[in-house]
Amino acid sequence: MSGASISAETRRERRRRERLAERDAAIPVELYGLKRGTVTALTTCCVLFALFTLAPVAWVIINSTKTQSNIFGSFGFWFASPFEFFHTFANLFRDIDGDGTYANWFLNTVLYSLSGGIGATVLAVLGGYGFARFEFRGSKVFFAIIIAGLLVPITLVAVPLYLAYAKVHLINSVWGMILPSMVVPVGLYLMRTYVELSIPRELIDAARIDGASELRIFLRIALPLMVPGLMTVLLLSVAGTWNNYILPLIIFSNNQLFPVTVGMGLWSQHAGNSGDANLYPLLVLGGLVTIVPMIALFALLQRYWRGGLLLGSVAN
Amino acid sequence: MSETALRPAARVVTRPSTPRKRRRRSAYARRQGRAGLAFVTPFMIIFTLIMIAPLGYAVYQSLYTTKLIGGTSFSGFANYSAVLQSGDFWGGVIRVIIFGGIQIPVMLAIAFFFATIFDLGVARWGPLFRAIYFIPFAVPIVVSSVMWGFLLDPAYGPFNHLMNAVGFHNFNWLSGNLMIPSIIIIAIWEWTGYNCIILYTALKSVPRDVIEAAILDDTPLWRIIVRIKLPMVRPAIIMLVFINTIGAMQLFIEPTILNNYQAGVVTNTWTPVIDIYSTAISNGQYQLGAAMAVVLAVIVVAISVASLGFRGRRRGQQ
Amino acid sequence: MSAISMEKLSKVYSSGVSALAGLDLEVRDGEFVVLVGPSGCGKTTTLRMVAGLESITSGTVRFGDLVVNDVSPRQRDVAMVFQNYALYPHLTVAENIGFALINKKVPKPDRERRVRSAAAALGLIDLLGRKPGQLSGGQRQRVAMGRAIVREPSVFLMDEPLSNLDAKLRVRMRSEVLRVHKAIGAATLYVTHDQVEAMTMGDRVAVLHDGELQQYATPRELYDRPANLFVAEFIGSPEMNLYEATVTDDELLLGSQRLSLGPARTLLAPYRGRTVIAGIRPEHLELVGGAGAGQAGMATLVADVRVVEELGDEAHVFFAIDATAAGASMLVAAAGDAEAGMLAGATHNGVAQINSRSAVRRGQQVTFRVDTGRMHFFDPDTSVAVPQMPG
Repeated sequence: MSGASISAETRRERRRRERLAERDAAIPVELYGLKRGTVTALTTCCVLFALFTLAPVAWVIINSTKTQSNIFGSFGFWFASPFEFFHTFANLFRDIDGDGTYANWFLNTVLYSLSGGIGATVLAVLGGYGFARFEFRGSKVFFAIIIAGLLVPITLVAVPLYLAYAKVHLINSVWGMILPSMVVPVGLYLMRTYVELSIPRELIDAARIDGASELRIFLRIALPLMVPGLMTVLLLSVAGTWNNYILPLIIFSNNQLFPVTVGMGLWSQHAGNSGDANLYPLLVLGGLVTIVPMIALFALLQRYWRGGLLLGSVAN
Repeated sequence: MSETALRPAARVVTRPSTPRKRRRRSAYARRQGRAGLAFVTPFMIIFTLIMIAPLGYAVYQSLYTTKLIGGTSFSGFANYSAVLQSGDFWGGVIRVIIFGGIQIPVMLAIAFFFATIFDLGVARWGPLFRAIYFIPFAVPIVVSSVMWGFLLDPAYGPFNHLMNAVGFHNFNWLSGNLMIPSIIIIAIWEWTGYNCIILYTALKSVPRDVIEAAILDDTPLWRIIVRIKLPMVRPAIIMLVFINTIGAMQLFIEPTILNNYQAGVVTNTWTPVIDIYSTAISNGQYQLGAAMAVVLAVIVVAISVASLGFRGRRRGQQ
Repeated sequence: MSAISMEKLSKVYSSGVSALAGLDLEVRDGEFVVLVGPSGCGKTTTLRMVAGLESITSGTVRFGDLVVNDVSPRQRDVAMVFQNYALYPHLTVAENIGFALINKKVPKPDRERRVRSAAAALGLIDLLGRKPGQLSGGQRQRVAMGRAIVREPSVFLMDEPLSNLDAKLRVRMRSEVLRVHKAIGAATLYVTHDQVEAMTMGDRVAVLHDGELQQYATPRELYDRPANLFVAEFIGSPEMNLYEATVTDDELLLGSQRLSLGPARTLLAPYRGRTVIAGIRPEHLELVGGAGAGQAGMATLVADVRVVEELGDEAHVFFAIDATAAGASMLVAAAGDAEAGMLAGATHNGVAQINSRSAVRRGQQVTFRVDTGRMHFFDPDTSVAVPQMPG
């Protein structure tokens, strides 16, 4: 279903029809026997929590346009002149006191997230398919071990990884970041659940009887059916790596290789310690720039990501 | 014989009645099994490399000690006894348990409250609010800690100004006593949306006719929620408690960043993971750090599994 | 004054789909009325509007004298058995049945007594402590009924309660449902797509199609005097045979064959010289021997046998004649009609139900005697039945 080929009108019509169908499918609110004013009260609660949720985001957006003194001096939730946004934005491309360049960090983050995320998705798709639709010796044991991997705290893995990297000269190597990013046990679990739900065994058996090779079955039959689940796993893996802090903190000492998370942490430290020149606006704007791509990605892939898959994993 | 077509009677199918254990895998099954192995091998290889091997290495290293003079030598459980006797370490453990013990139920209650509202449709603009509540999930924890640090900053933060305006002078959100509550607020901000979406999806999967039956029985709304919907999403809640517990026990980023706004409160043993980091990385005591990590892993597993059982039993008593 | 009455009841969904177009129906006190029709005919929609679970677009629903359009389903005193039973999966059978009574604040001893008596009436006493997940389909269905009867409602609604059960169990449960209905005595509206259920269970049966009422009468009426082509084809198994026929002065022309009309002559007077749709039920065709055994003055049909299905005492003979088959080729497959699963390649256009002692073989040519008095005729343009003689 390619969105590009459908005209904007039919898309809007379809969304309207879907929304109406959704409303028809839900139980009408009147049947709940609510007292008058309950809806308003509850909507108010929602608004309050929405304000709570948006407050930091609004603060970041507003204060990314301020000078350092204004960040501290002026009213937090409204603008103040001068409008420094573009000046601060330009500074993101400069190396600040040898800490590194934000733009650099940003590109690193993109590199790690995309390669790690895509790699993780490929592994999860292959592995999930294998565990779901094949029987081989040890499959249950392997899978149990993988799930146990969810329990392992990050440091138990990151610290010895660091030591191991020291021995194989992987300290300060991008692969040291990308490889671990490709291990997402939750992704495998989600894909396996999804395959079990959406690819009937009979389909594969029929193809096997017709003489198709396993690879062909996977590429032509199974993979197209796995796309929605695949998108969810891709989203989660990319987001997971994008937001990762502890691992890169431990394995990178060269600040050219930092992702944005570690870079921001470093700035935060320096800003706090020495009241450094104009680090605060950078911190604020840097935070904003970090958030935007992720929110955009979520909004874009919203169609696939309906939470149903996450639930599928949880219901088991 | 008359050529009459018989109505298809129950077809008798003969199957070889070999007991399961002794059945030899056919060539087909074996070939299939090999293919399956091929599909999972890539993941297993990297998984072993990245997770199993370091884990093994950590456990191995935890049994050794490196001294300036004398080099590395096997020390058995010396590291472990040092960890277990460390008051600072246990202080950190208690702290995250208290943190999780408050944060998780409060956050789940809020998430369930809104998930129910969305599921029932009893508030306006549900989809809009759902999208808004999910935004924090797209924010890296580092960034949210930085943002909240600004907001709660003792000298310049707007929330501090707010407290001053209401009459609490010299209010410090990040003071020793309020640091944990502040981090609880931040964690609620970060995670409620995610939990809410999961609970919302779980609630939506409750069959419609069960609720309609309850309506025909004139069940009041609160009873529908508490006695029908809530028990039916128990698996989702249990899973969320599990996942959240694992996360809460590993509290690291928020205190580390907030330390930059208010020095002195967060020590380098404030939470177990901070302790591990400062021991292993800052102080270079890898082996002691490894032992600490193993002890933490055991505690995390124990508490997570316990939380599963506790929740399960409590909900079972209707 | 009837227990339930519907006047011009209509339902149009917000997506524009019209589910029900102006239904007029009434159910008397204690009556068991069946709503039957193929999927999408509007029967479930009607049931849900009576329950109050679906909003009414136009028209009225009355319980007795009271218009209940705006009365909440909570207050309508209506109990419903759902198709998928809608049991509370985390509660025991006893708790499921007693759930409504807790809402009504019935004190505990009374509640337990009523739950026990409802369970006893349905043979559930031994299962009171189990949860729905531990029950078979039939047992779950009985729990769903128990949950409804314990409320002692004034109106009983059932939405295809037997369609998820296997065939043999379904037949057994039919009498169970009727027994419970008789014990309770409340007016009951029962929805099904199975015409056999409708015919065997209903005091009166309403046949619906595409949101419109086709006929509302006793099962006997529906069988003997179907009001239109749809009802004629829908009721009865195997389906009625329908052909295009031309009417002459006293004969009916079916393909190349002529049938002497006899008393039906006067019925078809208005159609002289024109085509009419003629229907004859499979059970009204009688075998009278091999080819050429036709006798003058009788109405007989010579046919080529294509397939014979042996059922033990009866046999279904699928034959072909050179007349044009008429009527909607709607497969009443939903009714579990075995003939709907036609054998490929057998090009037949009629079925006869005969005593299986007469040995008939594929490829034979046989002669059937047609009881023209029991034939049905329909206007080819309006599909409405040609009025039959009274009696």
